[in-house]
Amino acid sequence: MARSKAVRDPWPRQRLGIGAVFRDHLRVSRDTLHFVSARLGTSLLVWLLVGIALALPAGLFLLQVNLAGMSGAWEGRPGLSVYFKLDASDVGIQRVVDRLEAEPAVQAVTFISRERALAEFQSYAGLNDALELLDDNPLPASARAILVSGSSLDDLQKLADLATAEPAVAEVSVEKTWLERVTEITRIVSRLGVMLGVLFAVGAVLVTATSVRLAIEARLEELRVLKLVGATDRQIRQPFLYFGAFYGLGGGLVAAMLISLSLLIIERPLTNLLGSYGQNLQLAGFDPTFLGALFAVGGLLGILGALLAAKQRLGDLEVL
Amino acid sequence: MSQIEFHQVSKRFDNGQEGLREITADFEEGSMTFLTGHSGAGKSTFLKLLLCLDRPSRGQILVNGVNVTQIPAVRLAHYRQNLGAVFQDHHLLTHRTVYENVALPLRVAGFKERDIGRRVRAALSRVGLLSKEGLFPRYLSTGEQQRVGIARAVVIRPKILLADEPTGNLDPELSRDIMQLFQQFHQVGTTVIIASHDRELITSMGARIIELSHGAMVGDAPGDPMEAVPDGSV
Repeated sequence: MARSKAVRDPWPRQRLGIGAVFRDHLRVSRDTLHFVSARLGTSLLVWLLVGIALALPAGLFLLQVNLAGMSGAWEGRPGLSVYFKLDASDVGIQRVVDRLEAEPAVQAVTFISRERALAEFQSYAGLNDALELLDDNPLPASARAILVSGSSLDDLQKLADLATAEPAVAEVSVEKTWLERVTEITRIVSRLGVMLGVLFAVGAVLVTATSVRLAIEARLEELRVLKLVGATDRQIRQPFLYFGAFYGLGGGLVAAMLISLSLLIIERPLTNLLGSYGQNLQLAGFDPTFLGALFAVGGLLGILGALLAAKQRLGDLEVL
Repeated sequence: MSQIEFHQVSKRFDNGQEGLREITADFEEGSMTFLTGHSGAGKSTFLKLLLCLDRPSRGQILVNGVNVTQIPAVRLAHYRQNLGAVFQDHHLLTHRTVYENVALPLRVAGFKERDIGRRVRAALSRVGLLSKEGLFPRYLSTGEQQRVGIARAVVIRPKILLADEPTGNLDPELSRDIMQLFQQFHQVGTTVIIASHDRELITSMGARIIELSHGAMVGDAPGDPMEAVPDGSV
């Protein structure tokens, strides 16, 4: 009769001390470094691939952060310009100006008479001779309304509708300021960043998984022997998680270098461009926190790839 | 209670071939047993089931009263840490030194470096290879490689030592040396089970012999210590 019950566990699970665990991690990291350095060509290639995959979304993130900061510093505010009919009466014009000024979304209304418009045009355009040939002043009177900070596009549209309904008004021009454009661009960049981030993260995981799988194949015989002498699944898996982390961290380093290089290359033209808009180049976001996050994300993606490869290849590993 | 008990153990492979048929056998603690039979008789299958490298189709295998056929994967590793196994083709790691090969089970079990060094050198000394601890296996003869395999199997001081055709590639003189090594471990209380087709050699060892044929147990001859050859001083 077989007896298998009520027997004290003859092979109790050994509780390793902190020292043993530390020694184990040290030995595995040393082995991993040795393995990675012995296959430097392959390792560099993996680092480069993971680095590129990380650099693109990380670069877009930096661009988004800087665009958002830039829009906050911009002086322009949304507003609208109202152009009056040439034969509009002063009363009609004043009525429009008063109505605009009464709106809570409007901060200020600047009225420009036909005479002043002509004078400004002459002083800017240098077309004195041509304008003197005309019998009448061809320029209409206009009013420019600037909205209070925080106004929405709906507020702007409401004002435009209000002005258009007035009989003295010939045309209303809603001004999409740089602020709005930059905000839109920031939104696009942000969404593009998220999209590319997900795609390239999957790419980085797959690259690492493939590389780790190759490393597993190269050490299959050793793994079988390890299993035979009683290595746990955790012990079998551990070196490959280190591989993944090394590849990921290396990829993070390459990504940081690529972004630095890109910033160096575009610094001068970007300074010139911003200077033409009265802005100073003050790149934000490329700081120790960003770099730390880059390395952490790289390491995590690497470990994720390694886990994937280990699950696929080591799950059904036969001992001998 | 015997240390190892096979209860009507059968193994049928996926291709329908019968590896073992209704095997029932007990092994006392500290005993030495040879499994013999023709090629394909079921010797290796017997050892693989005991090592839990494969699961039987039917029956129970009790080791120290625990049915090892139902050990969950997480405890399997701890079970194997308490066994020593030697194979005909050694399974040494070619890119690691003799020392590192023998140290492997101790590292897996989390021994301190100081204890690892002491135990590895004791094991190598026992198999006569202390002077070769820094060499890679490819620089050793087949007999020496087999001794390294034995040192790796015994370095953790297992209660049970299993060997599958450990002298398969060796000449008669080396084979006898290796068998005497196993006998030494048996004499210090280790349970030893060796699969071998070399009937002349195993008969001379004076130990119990279980004969297998086409997966079935066809003979179980108790050992006769008087027949054992004098112990060599290895």
